[in-house]
Amino acid sequence: MRRAGIDIGGTFTDVILFDEETGDVEIEKTPSTPANPADGVINGLTKSDTEIGDLEFFSHGSTVGTNALIERELPRIGLITTEGFRDVHEIRDGTKEDLWDAYEDVADPYVQRRDRLEVAERIDYAGNVVEPLDEETVREVVRIFEKRGIDTIAVSLINAYVNGEHEQRVEEIVAAEYPAAFVCTSHEILPEMFEHERTSTTVINAALVPVVRDYLTDLEAKLDERGYDGDVLAMHSGGGVMTTEAIAYYAARIANSGPTAGAIASQYIADQCGFENAIGFDMGGTSADVSLTHQGDIEMTDEWAVEYGYPIMFPSTDIETIGAGGGSIAWIDDGGSLRVGPNSQGADPGPACYLRGGDKPTTTDANVVLGWVDPDRFLGGDMNATAEPARKVIQRDIADPLGLELTEAASAIEQIAVANMCNAVRLVSTSKGFDPRDFALVAFGGAGPLHAAHVAREMNVPQVIIPPYPGINSALGCLLVDVEHDLSQTFIADAAADIVDDIETAFADMEAEIRERLDEEGIDESEMQMDHEIKMRYTGQWRSLEVGCSRPLESMETIRERFHRQHEQTYAYSDEGQPVEVYGLHVTGRGVVEKPSFPEIDSGKADTARRTTRDAYFEAAGEFIDTAVYERASLGAGATLEGPAIVEQMDSTVVVPPNATAEVDETGTIILTV
Amino acid sequence: MTETQPQTDIDLDPVTFEVLRSSFTNLVDRMAQQIRRTCYSFVIYNRDFSNCLNDAEGNTVMQGSKDIAVHVGTLHYTCKETLEYFEGDINPGDVYIVNDPYLGGTHINDVRIMRPVFYEGELIAVTQSNGHWADVGGPAPGSFNIEANDHFAEGMRIPPLKIWDAGEFRDDVANLLTTNMRLSEDRMGDLRAQTEATRIAEERLLELVEKYGVDTVMTAFDESKDYVERIMREQLSDLPDGTWHTRDYIDADPNKEEGFVTIDVEMTIDGDEVHYDLSGSDEYVGNFLNSTFGTSFSAVVSGTKMFFPDVPLNSGLYRVVSADLPEGTVVNAPEPVPVTGSVAGAYEKVMNAIFELWSEVLPERAMACAFNLEYLLAGGQDQRPGRDGQEFAWYDWMAGGWGGRDGKDGSNATAPVFGAGLAVQSLEGQERDTPLVTSEHSIVTDSAGPGEFRGGCGLRKGGRMLACENSVMSYCSDRARSITWGINGGLPGIPHGVTLTRDGESQDMGTVFSNVPIDEGDEFVRPSSGGGGFGDPLERDPEAVLEDVKDDYVSVERAERDYGVVIEEIDPDVCAYEIDPEATDEQRAFIRANREDWLREDPDAITERYHEGELDKLDLIRRYGVILDWSSGELLERTTAEFRELLRERAASEWTPVE
Repeated sequence: MRRAGIDIGGTFTDVILFDEETGDVEIEKTPSTPANPADGVINGLTKSDTEIGDLEFFSHGSTVGTNALIERELPRIGLITTEGFRDVHEIRDGTKEDLWDAYEDVADPYVQRRDRLEVAERIDYAGNVVEPLDEETVREVVRIFEKRGIDTIAVSLINAYVNGEHEQRVEEIVAAEYPAAFVCTSHEILPEMFEHERTSTTVINAALVPVVRDYLTDLEAKLDERGYDGDVLAMHSGGGVMTTEAIAYYAARIANSGPTAGAIASQYIADQCGFENAIGFDMGGTSADVSLTHQGDIEMTDEWAVEYGYPIMFPSTDIETIGAGGGSIAWIDDGGSLRVGPNSQGADPGPACYLRGGDKPTTTDANVVLGWVDPDRFLGGDMNATAEPARKVIQRDIADPLGLELTEAASAIEQIAVANMCNAVRLVSTSKGFDPRDFALVAFGGAGPLHAAHVAREMNVPQVIIPPYPGINSALGCLLVDVEHDLSQTFIADAAADIVDDIETAFADMEAEIRERLDEEGIDESEMQMDHEIKMRYTGQWRSLEVGCSRPLESMETIRERFHRQHEQTYAYSDEGQPVEVYGLHVTGRGVVEKPSFPEIDSGKADTARRTTRDAYFEAAGEFIDTAVYERASLGAGATLEGPAIVEQMDSTVVVPPNATAEVDETGTIILTV
Repeated sequence: MTETQPQTDIDLDPVTFEVLRSSFTNLVDRMAQQIRRTCYSFVIYNRDFSNCLNDAEGNTVMQGSKDIAVHVGTLHYTCKETLEYFEGDINPGDVYIVNDPYLGGTHINDVRIMRPVFYEGELIAVTQSNGHWADVGGPAPGSFNIEANDHFAEGMRIPPLKIWDAGEFRDDVANLLTTNMRLSEDRMGDLRAQTEATRIAEERLLELVEKYGVDTVMTAFDESKDYVERIMREQLSDLPDGTWHTRDYIDADPNKEEGFVTIDVEMTIDGDEVHYDLSGSDEYVGNFLNSTFGTSFSAVVSGTKMFFPDVPLNSGLYRVVSADLPEGTVVNAPEPVPVTGSVAGAYEKVMNAIFELWSEVLPERAMACAFNLEYLLAGGQDQRPGRDGQEFAWYDWMAGGWGGRDGKDGSNATAPVFGAGLAVQSLEGQERDTPLVTSEHSIVTDSAGPGEFRGGCGLRKGGRMLACENSVMSYCSDRARSITWGINGGLPGIPHGVTLTRDGESQDMGTVFSNVPIDEGDEFVRPSSGGGGFGDPLERDPEAVLEDVKDDYVSVERAERDYGVVIEEIDPDVCAYEIDPEATDEQRAFIRANREDWLREDPDAITERYHEGELDKLDLIRRYGVILDWSSGELLERTTAEFRELLRERAASEWTPVE
């Protein structure tokens, strides 16, 4: 069985091919083709030795949706709302992200006011029709949209989450009057309370459908032409894959696809190494993404946004992104304090040492000065880079103004960059009640393995795991997932009441819908797995917690008990005397897909991979140390390195600081004990 | 407390400092996360809270980066007062609670929980969490009693009190407090959530102390304040020295004849410091729109901070920014004068006046006046089926328009400047909890103050009461007369105020009222103003006006009257409108030639024409500068004279003279 995992990123499309019989792994990196994302995928696959026609499994993650949202390269869409509420989408919750800067505004709404049209109708909080739908107003609105040539229409009516009747009727009228239009209704996309969040999710979903559908159709056709006859699967933000048919309707679900694939790969690699708790640390040129896996489960969030103020309420892996990458700029602020980031030189012009016109000191430049990375070997030596400009800009912009030696300045930049990364790690771990000492740090991305050991030391994380191919981790993540769907609904009730049967009924309905979707995707009944969660909170509280449970439900008492325990763990207190309420239900259905297992590598001693030595500076030692440099590809299983040491590979560099040890396991993964 | 002074020979290298400084930020932001996730008051949930780390003297070392503006510059006062009060009896395991507005606080709803942090037996810091509790007792639900003549009639005033005493929870004290508040159990929940936040911060601070040593952390406390002081001094010294002066106004003092209540602000930049003198302000007024020293100082700091968005918030800033706030004025009301509505009264006036002053000094950050904070409270018994007369409290505030800016229109539908993170609530959530159905929540066409760069648009929200009993409504706002103004030639937004309709009769209720009985079927609606305009509206690009017309932010009619842009409707179905360039030139010339005279026309005659339907409200305000008592329709002569003066200073004097 040959499997392909693909990650369509903003700059590169990464490919990993895995042959189950031989255990061979092939890796390709090729420039992305944003105008037509499928081309990049085909280019990457064509570069490899495997024929597309020989593939039996194709799964991909993609930033196509995310980028379309970021760049606002979206079709003009229309929004239909209840009379009096067309501005809900623009009013949002009114808050600014940047509280103190009156010149920094929240992004414009996705739908202009002129394209938000109203229909007369009203449903109350209990689902009763207060004012019947005036179908004439619907026809009028549809006529206008058609006249304007707007064929993507989102519908979000007040209280539609309790009663979707009016939305359904609007959809029918559109279908009858304007069959060419695509309609997306809020009760179907997200049957949950809160008009702004539901509208925002529905609007974003509607806007992405044409974008995602077009490239998926193209990709499917291109793969088909070349003889691939399996499903074209796509990673969604929730950490499963969906078929193209499902994605083409629930397009907003793939908006956080790429980082999610990275989080999944971290979880998998940690699991392979025997850790059920892991912090994923993915650092590239401009930012770092941090995720967390606890007892084998990736932490999720149900509120996520590409642009502040417009939430996408589909479950997504909870990823903390900070402006700390290799290209982050070091600078001195007005108070005379040294800062690193959040502004970045990115890949272009990039760090000063890239010789592409970058004239500002960056984290990468500091690493060059410290001797951690060898500019001659960037991307396996494919790049023209040199250390001299790195020294110059750090001396000029940091060392001189602060009265430091060049090395001290470079080391200070590195330490502050590490402190920033640690704050991101704190936000996913300690801030949520997780003790970093119980976790392993999985470091990947081009820059992750450089800093990981120092981040781990600072955070008291005992071990760092560096996968064999840190640069293509997200592509790997795409090979490791199940087909997955989830449904949620608002369900408010006193948790002390006898509601077991009501919950059972609601769960059964939700399950049935998921089974139907999985069935359409060709998943066998025996391969389906369902997970159930009840959202609960102390009565009067505003946020809820998701409490896991299995069917049939035992009793509300055990569920309440579980809630108290979880509250204690998350917020450091609980109170069994307080009344508890149920707030919502969530079901995730999984069609289990067989996972690849990675081959073992030959064993070997570290010495055979030793290439050279060079001077590298470590703050703990306070001086340059003659440090051994190893070639990752030549490291065999069982090899052990004592820090200080540096391990180089095509797309990344691993730094093993003094007093840390590195071990290579059977699959070539490096495990650092810091 | 000299024993906690850091040793001066501690070498705080730039790296350790930056690491500790960002750790302090992380620590207070983590408190924010914790209380937001566990609080019971929806007011807190929607971000009316703040957290900080105080040093052993009570100075603020770091305040949360997402905290509400109105608490800025007040937390250190409360901390200092509390430490002084308990001096000699401060022990590990203590937790204090205070809401006293006259001890550096804001209003009684802001309840502050403080925990002294000890290391090896010595007090090294205090962690503080401040949240707006949805109710702290008193006669009116939500504890906003407009009829109060003193704080005794407002609600529970809590002087410094030990709620935990050396680790012992004082059940009796907590019980006394919460028993006197509505929804006692929820208040206990808020108390617990805030207390836990201070504990989490203590834990993290002690980790830092363990790791870096107490002396290093103490040095970093001082250095954090010095750092902020340094940044601010650096930025101020780059600016020209000078004195700037302006006034803003509260609509009226109910105990006096009609006419504005003046808040007078004189700002002096002297080298690397900035000083504000508010001693020209009027004396305190006969309702709760007054503010205390703490609240006014907060307005001074927050108003200033808006022009220095990158400067972190701590006591270092208060060494550079100072204010004269004489006692007895509307900006420093003495005990027991009521101050609960200060945030809608004096607070935002000080802030907007400061925006205007800084707009002259830093024109690249200029901004006209923003809409006034407003909140509507309805409470009583819910008689919908199955609710059995259960108590309800509908406590609603709106977003509105911010002022026009230099080169940029104001921001539409944004949270008040009082707290740009204060989220408006979901009406679907409200409809579940309270017997009312929302009829509308939308942008108000023509609400934005016209300008070359118009203000942001304001909103309108309305509702109809369902089955209820013993129910009342209260409202707190301002600027029905001192209408959200423009600068640099820009014009005002629209007046605030509630309209109540019962049995087919509509009544303008004004901006300040409380405990008005309401019943099933009663309908109410109120707008929030758009922001004031920036620059001469006749200079606005006609294309920009055209775009606004397509989105119905501006009507075809007002495009002509406010901007002199004549637009013809071609086919609204496809948003087709066209500018008539000749008619526009003509209209603009006409307005230009007459507008200064319009501001001098006899107000009585104008009022007459308004009553005859020849002019509308916006003509009165924007063209003639005439202000009426909007409910009786009576001309307010003194207010009109003052409003015209305001328009002359902020608008007319900036218009290019007619050749």
